[in-house]
Amino acid sequence: MRFLSKAVLLSLINGGILMAAPVIPGLNGNHPLDKAKTGHLLIEELRCAACHEVPVATTMKSAPDLSEAGSRLDLDYLKRYLVDPHAVNPGTTMPDVLGGLPYAEKAKVSEAISHYLMSLTSEEAQVETPAGDAKLGHEIFYEVGCISCHVPESKDSQRAESLAHIGGKYQQGALAKFLLDPLKVRPSGRMPNMNLSSSEASALEAFLGGSSGKSGKLDAELVTAGKENFKKYNCVACHTMGNAGAAKGPKLQNIDLKKGCFTGKGANYQLSDDQAKVIALALEKPVSFSDEARVEMKLTQLNCIACHTRDDFGGVVEEIDEFFHTTEEALGDAARIPPPLTKIGGKLKPEWLNKVLYDGLSVRPYMKTRMPQFGRRALEGLPEVLAKVDKLPQVDLPPPNRQEQPMVRNGGHLLLGTEGLNCISCHNYNGKESPGMKGYDLILTYQRLQSGWFYEFMKNPAKHRPGIIMPNYWPDGKAVQTEIMGGDTHEQLRSLWHQFSLGRSARDPKGLQSKPNKLEVNDKVRIYRGRSRVAGFRGLAVGFPGGLNYAFNLENGSLSAIWKGEYLTANWRSQGAGDFNPSERPIQLAQDVAFLRPKDSGLKWPLKPVMTKENPVNPDPLYPKNLGYAFRGYALGKNGNPTLRYLCGEIAIEDRFEVKSEKVLSRRFKFDAKQEDVLHFRALTGQIVGESDRVFKAADLRLTLGSGVETILRSIGDDGEQELLMKIPLGPKKNTYSIDYEILR
Amino acid sequence: MALLMASMTAEEVGDRWGTADREREFYPVVQVPIPKDLVIEAGAFEQLPDGRIAIGTRRGDIFFVSGIDDERPEPKYEIFATGLDEIFGLSWKDNALYVTHSAELTKVSDTDEDGRADLFEVISDAWGYANYHEYAFGSKFDQEGNLYVALGLSASYHSRALFRGWGFKITPEGKSIPIASGMRSPGGIGFNKDGAVFYIESQGPWNSSCSLKFVKEGGFMGHPASYNWYEYAPNLKEPVNPESGSSILVEKEKVAELVPYAVIFPYIRMGRSITGFVLDKTKGKFGPFKDQIFLGDYTQSLIMRATTEQVNGVWQGACYPFREELSTGILNVQFTPEGRLLAGGTNRGWPVRGLKPFALERLEWSGKMPFEIREVTITPKGFKLEFTKEVEANSAGDPTNFLVKTFTHKYHQGYGGPEINQTEPAVKSVKVANDGMSVLIELEALKKGHVHEFDLGALRSSDGGELLHRHAYYTVNEVPKK
Repeated sequence: MRFLSKAVLLSLINGGILMAAPVIPGLNGNHPLDKAKTGHLLIEELRCAACHEVPVATTMKSAPDLSEAGSRLDLDYLKRYLVDPHAVNPGTTMPDVLGGLPYAEKAKVSEAISHYLMSLTSEEAQVETPAGDAKLGHEIFYEVGCISCHVPESKDSQRAESLAHIGGKYQQGALAKFLLDPLKVRPSGRMPNMNLSSSEASALEAFLGGSSGKSGKLDAELVTAGKENFKKYNCVACHTMGNAGAAKGPKLQNIDLKKGCFTGKGANYQLSDDQAKVIALALEKPVSFSDEARVEMKLTQLNCIACHTRDDFGGVVEEIDEFFHTTEEALGDAARIPPPLTKIGGKLKPEWLNKVLYDGLSVRPYMKTRMPQFGRRALEGLPEVLAKVDKLPQVDLPPPNRQEQPMVRNGGHLLLGTEGLNCISCHNYNGKESPGMKGYDLILTYQRLQSGWFYEFMKNPAKHRPGIIMPNYWPDGKAVQTEIMGGDTHEQLRSLWHQFSLGRSARDPKGLQSKPNKLEVNDKVRIYRGRSRVAGFRGLAVGFPGGLNYAFNLENGSLSAIWKGEYLTANWRSQGAGDFNPSERPIQLAQDVAFLRPKDSGLKWPLKPVMTKENPVNPDPLYPKNLGYAFRGYALGKNGNPTLRYLCGEIAIEDRFEVKSEKVLSRRFKFDAKQEDVLHFRALTGQIVGESDRVFKAADLRLTLGSGVETILRSIGDDGEQELLMKIPLGPKKNTYSIDYEILR
Repeated sequence: MALLMASMTAEEVGDRWGTADREREFYPVVQVPIPKDLVIEAGAFEQLPDGRIAIGTRRGDIFFVSGIDDERPEPKYEIFATGLDEIFGLSWKDNALYVTHSAELTKVSDTDEDGRADLFEVISDAWGYANYHEYAFGSKFDQEGNLYVALGLSASYHSRALFRGWGFKITPEGKSIPIASGMRSPGGIGFNKDGAVFYIESQGPWNSSCSLKFVKEGGFMGHPASYNWYEYAPNLKEPVNPESGSSILVEKEKVAELVPYAVIFPYIRMGRSITGFVLDKTKGKFGPFKDQIFLGDYTQSLIMRATTEQVNGVWQGACYPFREELSTGILNVQFTPEGRLLAGGTNRGWPVRGLKPFALERLEWSGKMPFEIREVTITPKGFKLEFTKEVEANSAGDPTNFLVKTFTHKYHQGYGGPEINQTEPAVKSVKVANDGMSVLIELEALKKGHVHEFDLGALRSSDGGELLHRHAYYTVNEVPKK
């Protein structure tokens, strides 16, 4: 079905200037329209019905909204353009309406209209955007899909609209602003929204804009004259401006298109011979549109067919194929070329199709070309017609009853995983990346697809997407995997469908790796808080560059673990709220309160309350606050090292660790006592060996105490358990005291 | 562990409202991109004085984000602090962020002004924390500088660590005052337009549905597991035990401290696990719902509205569908400086309809006026229904176009509970206001203790449109005398 592939593009030489017929990008590829329908499409795209009565019902493309033209366009450009639109913007669909005037008169009217249009400004439309990166703009232009409808330079392209005229058309920043929301100025979506970020829009402006225009100085008289001319020459027929009424011309059938639209009297569109012919054909015998024909018309008007095929039309043409890219090359063309639209209305659930069309939702992050947003006006009715003409028989895949449930759920789980069809070797799942190719996230399947499509597609992927690398796991309807769900094709597909229907609630497929959340220490001290077996619920873990780490039980105020090597892993799976585990085997210390006033330390050091399965309620909920401990927070030094702050009664304690050597952490306390006082500190528990009066060892840890304190080593159990207590004398000002912790492994 | 496994088995998340395709026209959802190397499971938001948005995450990070309001947002994320634990409250005061996280309310500041927090001061740790499910939710500051904290139960059923299931008031002087017991599994705490403190409660024991509850000082919020800590709250007296299987209407007469649910959200139809909420103070930038409460739902990935009023000294009000089809489980919402609603969360850990592991999304008003039930308020004999657009006189003048049904729940210790004692009171009369923006309806009877459910599907606006959402649900605790 290749009609008119070249005919409409004939350029003609007129007075030595290259003049092009109006370019409708959708008509330049492998479009599905016959001659009469092509003529009808031209009537709509060229807005014939704005001035003429036509014998067919049309939904016209809308002309740009000029109500804020002065805030975005360049005065000189407008003048040049209005004098000779076809020379300045070859291929434009705007007719030259001043064609009948002598040149001098034409120039005068153009200037006046330009002044008028430039007077139409709004503060909101005025923009100041930073200059973009032209090199990036170049990349974007070729990558996101602009190339499907446009060529950037004044190349004599027979395929697309040239943007050579853009340089100098817009004021600084205005093109970028336009590109961010083209539908605001051009609501009928022929120039769609490409979901550009601001920096991308600015980059495109820099790439396309060349020398940017200026707003120019306006002449009030010319503005007034221009306003009159704007009406007089019936510009208002297309560019509605308030309530200005448009003049109506004769019936279109009664016009010799060769004369008016072609040669210059009246509105001169520079129609090619073939364009004039097909319009005449459409007028002769108005086309009646079937639902399918309406779809074809719309896909051509919006040039969806530049990127998508549908049945036997459309598709990326050879000339631009090289610009379609993916980050997952191994997935083949399916990852690079937008998907076929054949039966699209039966493939996607209507809600999902709307999300794609209206919300810009994409499930293929690897595909560089973007799905444009054409806007509500352009797409009006399309999803509904697609749903109707593409309707596929739905397949009954009922959810399992209670009895079947475990089997069916397990079936889906197994099929997706490494012991089944290993779908996850090419597809992401549930936000987790496939270890292999990162194909689209399968968890979206149920929300996206209709059951009929799913069922048929799975049984022969290549039939629906020729060239797809996805294997057929049910050739001729027979399951390749014979052990899961009894090797029954229908039951396997049903279990997969059920798995997908459960969304996030389903078990992840077997073999799907969730990365352990390993936290690493780089050049600064790192801190992490969360519950941990080594530090209680209110745990703090501190990792130093070089590989020494400690954990602190903030609830009770005790250094609770020390380890050497990598920092920790945090559990951010499931509901688990970030509990941490040291990455290496830690030296575990006691987690009871560490500082006490002498009156509280007594004969037996008060231990933290223990909750058990039988007695889960905290029997001593105020411990250790009732012993004077209160955690006050921490301050971070320049390298991120925390100084912990807490109280023991009236005495404020600062507690800070430093790396002394590869295996030694040095701990330094500062006490702020109001008066002479003594604090008791429980330095160590376990089977303690006193190596000197200041050096003690328990298991793999050696403590070297600072001088000037009295120590008590006392037994706390029958099994040789001891505790090392220190009596730290304090003066009526800040005191410091240090302990070294040496790891002996 | 058993609990964890159980929670991961598949669960029904309920049917959609089916209105997303129409909601889009009025409130489009814009994705706020997150850099690939960041995981932002938003649990709390705050707007900073310089217009940036602070985001606190479940993973304990705080990001300062600029550019969220740009037409096509490409926000800049600056890490302000790390190393906190499950952040569900952020409030800015005196050049510092007050962060409610699992074990503490912490004041976090950047004293050397290098953009990174360097001082973490404990403002309150008046509660125990000994089970991962013991989440703590923090409000913003009220006019007097108080901040409120809502504390979930242990494993969502018990109260094993100090003050689990309680609400706290933290005063500007840093005093932590226990003010209410009886919470179960809060999802957020904040204020209504009158500055009254509310928290959102999840369906479960003693709560047949999710509900918005007024946090009354000295009040009991309905779940008696937390009675065991009254001896540590000498300012308060332990209430008598409520009787399981009774009704809230009966029990609130017996248990003086019991505060009835202010706004019940019919389970599944209106959310399944409602979370953070925010008051619309955008002065119309977000559309016609000035001063109303917007709430996120985790399971169903959607946003609802609520309004409250005080009748005979008791708070009550209504809830309304607003916007569905967000991409992840919503944990919190926040208005941006430009009056857009930022929503964020994660789908980690519980069943969620939205399939993204985490996301930030921005809802904005398109400027088109949706035809909505703006607000339902009670009158002595019925309700006043306010609309966002003029109603068409014929359809609004016909009492049969106003379908009202009622139901209540048991107040019991079982997990959740069905809607019971349904009635269908006839609408005796309707009176359309002169401007067509509201309708007074009179019912044959108002049922105290019942949710009154409105279906106005037959109503039309003066331009012929259908309601964007045909339902509203008003919880009647009290009936005004005049």
